[in-house]
Amino acid sequence: MLEAVEIEVRFGGLTAIDRVSLALGQDEILGLIGPNGAGKSTLVNALTGFQKPTRGVVRLDGVAIGRWPADRIARLGIARTFQGVRLFQGLTVIENLAAAAIGGGLKRPGAEARGRDILAWMGLDGRDHQLAGALPYGDQRRVAIGRALALAPRFLLLDEPAAGMSDAECDALVGLIRRVPEEFACGVLLIEHNMRVVMAACRRIHVIDSGRTIAAGTPAEIQADRDVIRAYLGTKSEPGHAGR
Amino acid sequence: MSGFLQHVVDAVALGSLYALTALGIGLIFGVMRLINFAHGDFIMVGAFSLVVPSSAATSTLLIGAWPAPLLVAGVCAVVIALALATERLAFRPVRRADPAVLLITSFAVSFFLQHAVIAIHGGRPKSANIWPNLMEPIVIAGVRMPQLQLITIVVTLGLLAALALFLKRTDIGVAMRAASEDFQTARLLGIRANYVIATAFAISGLLAAVVSLLYVAQTSVLSFQMGVPLVLFAFVATVVGGMGSLAGAVLGGFVVGVGSVFFQVVLPAAWRSNRDVWVYALVLLILLFRPAGLIKTKASEEKA
Amino acid sequence: MAGPRTPLKWLETYSTPIALTLILVGVVGLTWASGAAVFAQTVTDTLIRIMLVVGLYIFIGNSGVLAFGHIAFTLIGAYGTAWLTLSVFKKSFALKLPLILAEHQYAVFPSAIAAALLASLVALVVGVPIMRLSGIAAAIASLAVLGMFHTFYNNWSGWTMGAATLPGLPLYVDMWVALGWVAFALFVAFAYQRSRFGLALRATREDEFGARAAGINIARQRLIAFVLSAFFMGLAGVLHAHFLGSIAVKSFWLGLTFTSLAMLIIGGQRSLTGAVTGAVVISGITEVLRQMEGGFTLGGVTLALPLGSQELGIALVMLLVLIFRPAGLTGGRELAFRLGRRRRADA
Repeated sequence: MLEAVEIEVRFGGLTAIDRVSLALGQDEILGLIGPNGAGKSTLVNALTGFQKPTRGVVRLDGVAIGRWPADRIARLGIARTFQGVRLFQGLTVIENLAAAAIGGGLKRPGAEARGRDILAWMGLDGRDHQLAGALPYGDQRRVAIGRALALAPRFLLLDEPAAGMSDAECDALVGLIRRVPEEFACGVLLIEHNMRVVMAACRRIHVIDSGRTIAAGTPAEIQADRDVIRAYLGTKSEPGHAGR
Repeated sequence: MSGFLQHVVDAVALGSLYALTALGIGLIFGVMRLINFAHGDFIMVGAFSLVVPSSAATSTLLIGAWPAPLLVAGVCAVVIALALATERLAFRPVRRADPAVLLITSFAVSFFLQHAVIAIHGGRPKSANIWPNLMEPIVIAGVRMPQLQLITIVVTLGLLAALALFLKRTDIGVAMRAASEDFQTARLLGIRANYVIATAFAISGLLAAVVSLLYVAQTSVLSFQMGVPLVLFAFVATVVGGMGSLAGAVLGGFVVGVGSVFFQVVLPAAWRSNRDVWVYALVLLILLFRPAGLIKTKASEEKA
Repeated sequence: MAGPRTPLKWLETYSTPIALTLILVGVVGLTWASGAAVFAQTVTDTLIRIMLVVGLYIFIGNSGVLAFGHIAFTLIGAYGTAWLTLSVFKKSFALKLPLILAEHQYAVFPSAIAAALLASLVALVVGVPIMRLSGIAAAIASLAVLGMFHTFYNNWSGWTMGAATLPGLPLYVDMWVALGWVAFALFVAFAYQRSRFGLALRATREDEFGARAAGINIARQRLIAFVLSAFFMGLAGVLHAHFLGSIAVKSFWLGLTFTSLAMLIIGGQRSLTGAVTGAVVISGITEVLRQMEGGFTLGGVTLALPLGSQELGIALVMLLVLIFRPAGLTGGRELAFRLGRRRRADA
């Protein structure tokens, strides 16, 4: 169980995250949505060691990990992707995944084998030896997900994986994400703006705005929630129209 | 007590030289993310401009023989021109490259300048006596110190004050400071980039010229490697002070200067020739505990 | 470390160091057969430079951190082997060493290893604070290390004769000895970059945040490369010492720092082939310029380049490469050959 308990993140005078709590189990997919600037990426940074919370506790199976360095947290099994993708551009696709598998403790032959398996699972095989930087953008984002999975993580935090994807690609992505908990024994935290993806993939959704939790529940509950609608569309709102 | 005050004055004077050099380096780093290895050679060329270019073993004063205001103006003009020329010819073509390439480029320029001077002046050190009367001591509050040290400190404070005003009050200055502290801003300099960067080099050249004059007045020796110790310590000072912070560069310069005099005084005589080793070790120690340097800026922190 | 099972696959995977070594063996063989002593000197000199640049490459090429201070390790290696291999008589004459060194003369081979290991040990100690710094800060801090050791050895007259030249070292490094050590270095460097440590470090070179998110400890990976690199930098110092027979602290300072970096950059800092290429090309240019400094005839007129032209020439070439081809002559590619099935060789 990965838990955030009353997390607060302040930058100088600005409170980016204001006492947010959530919990993620290894067998579920939790969505994290909210308007732009709500603090979603900051929260992911806080959960993965890229940002130390000013207050509050991050717990992995009961152990507090909030002040640990990012690479140590990754080795514990908490993987993430970045909005800015951040692939190893000068390395090949297979090397990208192998590097993460090595981070997870494997030696090179085993790391490359795991990388190949994941690429095949994602439908990206055949590209092994292409330079990551030469791939089209959409493929780069998928390789990034593959790289995170190469850590053999217990928790996978995806930061806007569907950005720039067509509807067909989104559906494929949803299919992929839904298989992760079962096939990898890995819980997923999905940050997304794309409501099509969120509603289809997640059984539970957590909504934050301006750093605060404003709602949490099933997709149906969230869609009908007044606070959520107001946060996305302003005070003039109509029920039934959530998100962009 | 006067012995202690003497040491304090020494420390501050030396720190001033390092601070000015470090500031010259820090300014360029701020606008271009370039560590200008050639800065020490700007200082060196400024010094050599005092004498007639010739490979003779003894030197004849050229600019060094001019009356003081012209002398100062002359050396400043030479060094500023050199700084602008290297910016235009060597650094502008590689401006977009990553910091590693920039650093190596400046190393190449430094190497080039040193060997050009060897080709013109020969490889042996030469003497250049300017303003010998400045080495006469004066007595202030019971402390005897060479006038030169006092002048060094006063000039440094004056320059720092002038520069601080410039950085706060003028458009270019503000742009330079912003760029220094956040490289994203530096990249947004856009159309004005050429102008801002050239100005930074000009100021850097001015600082180098001043250091050159003060240094030669103190040591009276010209050698093609004379800029190296200054610039090594200045680099180290910028790192200790906090890369990207101009105030940090100045602070780092004083830390290194004070540390240097401190070790000179405190070390037993047999170890004094290794004073520099101790200064470097002190720097590494500070970095062990404060990897980002003493003054943190946005430049030293990055966000995912 | 990666080790495919069949001999054929092994050959293919290690084709880069094999190819490079074969080329060097060819050059050395031809020179030896020709019997020209002058060529042999030049070739040995070039091989020592290759060792130097390969050592530099192990750290800089894989980590992307432009550390400046590596010549400190060459200095340490050179004097380390001197302390061990100088004859007892010569030591008593010039140096004041502790008994374990002053009263013994050790065999050259273990001494070489010991001196290189000393360099690695120093790298380990100074590397711990330095590798936690950001790229630029680490580069400068390593320069501080060079400054430290330069000053230290310059003043340590009891052990180094201070600024004076220390003569009398056994002269055992000829083309074949140098070649042997260089081949060793090439294989180790390649094995490292093919290993999990090499790949992890290369990942940090590409994107530090991505690397941390992939569970890679950046400081630790850099430190490993730094220590390994120091071993070969130290070894280059050993070879230099026993090739020239005398050493001086001033040789291991900014001039050598610059030329070794120039060789790596010009050749291409991202590949082992680049390191070797840079060393060979610069050695060639230096040799030509040196001849021209000595005087040459062009159309009946005798000309000579001014002194210092070698260095100016290298600086100019370096600047041109940096401006027009920053990835160096090899552009990060490795020399490699394929056997049997067509398959892309990855670095």
